[in-house]
Amino acid sequence: MYSLEARALSGGYEKHEVFSNLTLAVPKGKFIALTGPNGSGKSTLLKFFYRELIPTSGSVYIEGSAVASLTQKNLARKLGFVPQNGRIDYDFSVLEAVSMGRYAYKGHDEEGFVEQAMRDCDILHLSHKRVTELSGGEMQRVLLARSLCQQGNVLLLDEPVNHLDVKHQRTMMNLLKRLVEKDMSVICVLHDLLLVQVYSDETILLKKGEVFANGPTEQVICHENLHAVYNIDAHKIHDPTLGRDLWMPTWC
Amino acid sequence: MKRRVTLALALSTLLLGMISLTLGPAGISLADTLLVLTGKSTTLSQQYIIFQLRLPRVLTAILCGAILAGAGAVFQAVLRNPMADPFVLGVSAGASFGVALAITVGYAAFLGLPFSALLGALATTLLIFLVGSRHKVSQTTLLLTGVAANYILSAGMTLLMFLNHEQYDRILFWTLGSFSSSTWKQVLIMLISVLLFAVPIRLAHAEMDMLLLDEGSALASELPLQKIRLILLLLATFAVATCVAFFGIIGFIGLMAPHMARLLLGPKHSKMLLPTCLFGSFLLLGSDTLARLLLPTGEMPVGIITSILGAPLFIWMLRKGRYAYV
Repeated sequence: MYSLEARALSGGYEKHEVFSNLTLAVPKGKFIALTGPNGSGKSTLLKFFYRELIPTSGSVYIEGSAVASLTQKNLARKLGFVPQNGRIDYDFSVLEAVSMGRYAYKGHDEEGFVEQAMRDCDILHLSHKRVTELSGGEMQRVLLARSLCQQGNVLLLDEPVNHLDVKHQRTMMNLLKRLVEKDMSVICVLHDLLLVQVYSDETILLKKGEVFANGPTEQVICHENLHAVYNIDAHKIHDPTLGRDLWMPTWC
Repeated sequence: MKRRVTLALALSTLLLGMISLTLGPAGISLADTLLVLTGKSTTLSQQYIIFQLRLPRVLTAILCGAILAGAGAVFQAVLRNPMADPFVLGVSAGASFGVALAITVGYAAFLGLPFSALLGALATTLLIFLVGSRHKVSQTTLLLTGVAANYILSAGMTLLMFLNHEQYDRILFWTLGSFSSSTWKQVLIMLISVLLFAVPIRLAHAEMDMLLLDEGSALASELPLQKIRLILLLLATFAVATCVAFFGIIGFIGLMAPHMARLLLGPKHSKMLLPTCLFGSFLLLGSDTLARLLLPTGEMPVGIITSILGAPLFIWMLRKGRYAYV
């Protein structure tokens, strides 16, 4: 069984069909990077899974269940979503904001999932702080904790480290990696090719609404693919801390 | 904290109501007012003034204030915009336009003014909702649609007044707001409206919290977004239309009261909805009491008072507030 599947998916926005007959299967329990140039359909693809968009034809599945046939409650219990640049404009406390993740369970939290999620995301000490006073990194961890409270096995993230400094990027990515170790399926839209190579097990490389390459990250991220998709050159560098080579865009 | 604030607001409103009952051209002391209310007074004129003129007025102001404030909280949650309220979005103007059109065209007797107000308000709300249902429409666009509707409807009102001099005063009444002709029948209708409005929105407090999140998070958290939005908007529209049908357009209460409650209790609707309604009651009762007293003869329209008091207070609150959008 796959964590996510798209079968002959077609659809997009009112005046712009992004995908036409897209078929894709995402393995379970792995860190999957979803990458590609701007406008390639990364964020749009995620929207079909949390039902912000409805396919014009074809269908999408989460852990074998057709998204279209899932009740709203069952969808929320299967899948968490962390939005791009997510923010909450009203000054809820961190605890209140995270607790909203229990909405699909009518707010019940007898087993302490809210506290556990806050502990996992290292925000327990911020419980009573107002979300409007948080830094970007803290806010992303709050949004992640809220999604974890839904107890889904699949977590979708849309550019979760955008606008974060290097330290907070590392904190967030390590956090996601730990979730994968706990058997969660993490599907993460990423632009930074370095992060893609360091953290993801597999990569889906999109180009103009089509899957250009899909598979183990070390096979997908290579000079040929980067050149074909981004029209850039790339070169290898050796990272002694990781003990392996990484592809870097050639900047000039 | 919530209990203390709620109790303080309820007691303040009660006290203000008592004071308001004593005020007016016929000076009736607090002691005499209490005697009338407890049925121990034998002065018929005082009984008439308190029971037939002042008490219905105080009660309708309290109930109307609660509805406008609650509706403000609903609109702000549904449109995820702290600037939204029935007045700014043109829902009040829609109701008022419905009434003015009914008077001018002459179908008021056939449909009744409350139903005409409801039609006008519903048309405005549905316009906002239809624009909002289109994909990729920002909350700002939605708000501006309401603002544009407000301008168009206000212009329509002015045109109707301009074309129909005979009904000028009657139409003007709905643009300024007044509780001067409150009756017990209206008290009963407003009470039913409050119950029909307040009970469902209190039950939907968790949904209203979720509406304040971004759309993707709300959808991914089980919220049937469009359905909840439509139900809440329709509830608020019905309630506001009832207020406008009887008492005209009263601005700022729907905008101010939710902010005041949030300032003290935070944005969680389980905590702030009841205090919001009580703030609305207190503010509108206070404004109406001032409206009765400020002019040596006659009285000022209450909508003018709420706007004059509301605007500076609102700016002050925003400066004091802890909102990300300030």
